[in-house]
Amino acid sequence: MIVLDHASRWYGQVIGLNDVTCTIPVGITALLGENGAGKSTMMRMITGQLRPTTGTVRIFGLDPFANPEVFRRLGYCPEIDQFYEWMTGRQFVQHLARLQGYSAAEASRRTDETIARVGMADRADRRLQGYSKGMRQRIKLAQALLTDPDVILLDEPLNGLDPVGRREFMDLLAHLALEGKSIVVSSHILFEVEQMTRSILLLHRGRLLATGDLRAIRGLIDRHPHRIRLETPDPRAAASYLANLPFVLEILFDPSGEALEVRTREPDQFYNAVADLAVLHGIPIHGLESPDNNLESVFRYLVNA
Amino acid sequence: MNTNLYLYTSALRDFLRPRRIAAWLIVALILGAGAMQWSGMMRGTSVTEEYGQITSILTFRMLALASAVFSTAVVSQEVEQKTIVYLLTRPIPRWKLLLGRTLASITAVWLVSAVACVAVSVGVFGGGAGLTNPALGRDLATLALGAAAYGGLFVFFSLIINRSMLVCLIYAFGWETATPNMGGYLYYLSIYSHLQSIADHPAPPSALRAMSAMSGALGGNTLAVSTALSILGGFVVFALGLSMWWFSRFEFVPREDAG
Repeated sequence: MIVLDHASRWYGQVIGLNDVTCTIPVGITALLGENGAGKSTMMRMITGQLRPTTGTVRIFGLDPFANPEVFRRLGYCPEIDQFYEWMTGRQFVQHLARLQGYSAAEASRRTDETIARVGMADRADRRLQGYSKGMRQRIKLAQALLTDPDVILLDEPLNGLDPVGRREFMDLLAHLALEGKSIVVSSHILFEVEQMTRSILLLHRGRLLATGDLRAIRGLIDRHPHRIRLETPDPRAAASYLANLPFVLEILFDPSGEALEVRTREPDQFYNAVADLAVLHGIPIHGLESPDNNLESVFRYLVNA
Repeated sequence: MNTNLYLYTSALRDFLRPRRIAAWLIVALILGAGAMQWSGMMRGTSVTEEYGQITSILTFRMLALASAVFSTAVVSQEVEQKTIVYLLTRPIPRWKLLLGRTLASITAVWLVSAVACVAVSVGVFGGGAGLTNPALGRDLATLALGAAAYGGLFVFFSLIINRSMLVCLIYAFGWETATPNMGGYLYYLSIYSHLQSIADHPAPPSALRAMSAMSGALGGNTLAVSTALSILGGFVVFALGLSMWWFSRFEFVPREDAG
């Protein structure tokens, strides 16, 4: 549904998006990248607010720039936190529904429906200026879903949502994906993305660094030694067990005396071994984390690879 | 109500929100009170002449000021507050979006100017007689054309210049004061000259040089009403057409988000 072909976008001397070629299929696709990676530029090109400097962007086979045909089938939840603050949430969504071309009655019906869908039915008649960040996100999502669009673009939609809200939001996205919609979600948090989809586009400094299944990309990463921090009150006993494992390359003791940092080439096998450590050997494990499981590390690995 | 009409009425409701319009109504009342005082100080002129001079200076200047303020709200205010994204991703051709909002701003400008014009007339004629002032109807029609002309020009300024309000104000109070008083044919380039010709107010007495300068009558240049109507009408169509083309052709993304 969405095709970028060698699309680049320059802002004067600065490049926002650099020679990106990709096809975004039905289902949820995550657009992953650090701040300034080019996610919003790509979103704006797909939503027809910006033109590519070179290359092409097509959605439903059409050039999206200022194209009403595209906007009839597209829902867009922008990253911005600005609204017509004097309106209530319901008035805001209904106003945009009217601009979408619906009659007053139809706009009202769709507004009620989408507001209920995003869990804002009981708070929709309050003024937007009094909304929390999470409520604003939900209202932005409601306006994006008004037309039951084929393609939905969500720019950092989880910002400001509480854990329950995130869970509900992810469930809603999963449901929409099952209905056959293309959903593009931008984020700079790998953990968030992993819970939503395995299909990712990884942007770094305007370039498309990797695309495809997140597991395959993780496989690339896992070829490199992986650091895992293990918190336990008995680090010596844990180390004596782990040191015998063939995939453990190095063990460092934390100065606090209550943690270990292990380097391994096989993180999956290592995590299984940690389970054995706790269950079979009775060594208490208070915490387990991988400093390499953040987006910055993913980029570092991929760039170095 | 179809989308085009909704576009116009919703924008007009926004422009006429009490918080926005209250200041203009207060200004109109102040102009009415000022006109009454001013009229009382004038000597050797008929009340019709007094009204003509005072409304040329007060109402027609307020028209330009209101146009500058409301025209920048059509697009550039939406860009600055970043809400433009909600408008540009609706299935409405951009030219229609601009036209609907511009017509709404022109209507709002005309309404506040009309209130000011009536207030000045009431102030000069003293009470109810101001409402039956024979020049009032013509002035209200002229203000409508002026709102469209200034609106078309200032909306175009706002599309091509960042923070265009200053440029609009310089045009409204600098250019529009200077050019009608200049020799040659420069007055053709002033909207105010055309509006004065259409309104056809009596010229101020030559002794009142300051008033002549403010009302653009120092140069003594006037256009035939039919010429002024044709030029202004053509200009409105041209300016709106150019603005619609520009808005459809170019990107309007909030500045700090462009990177």
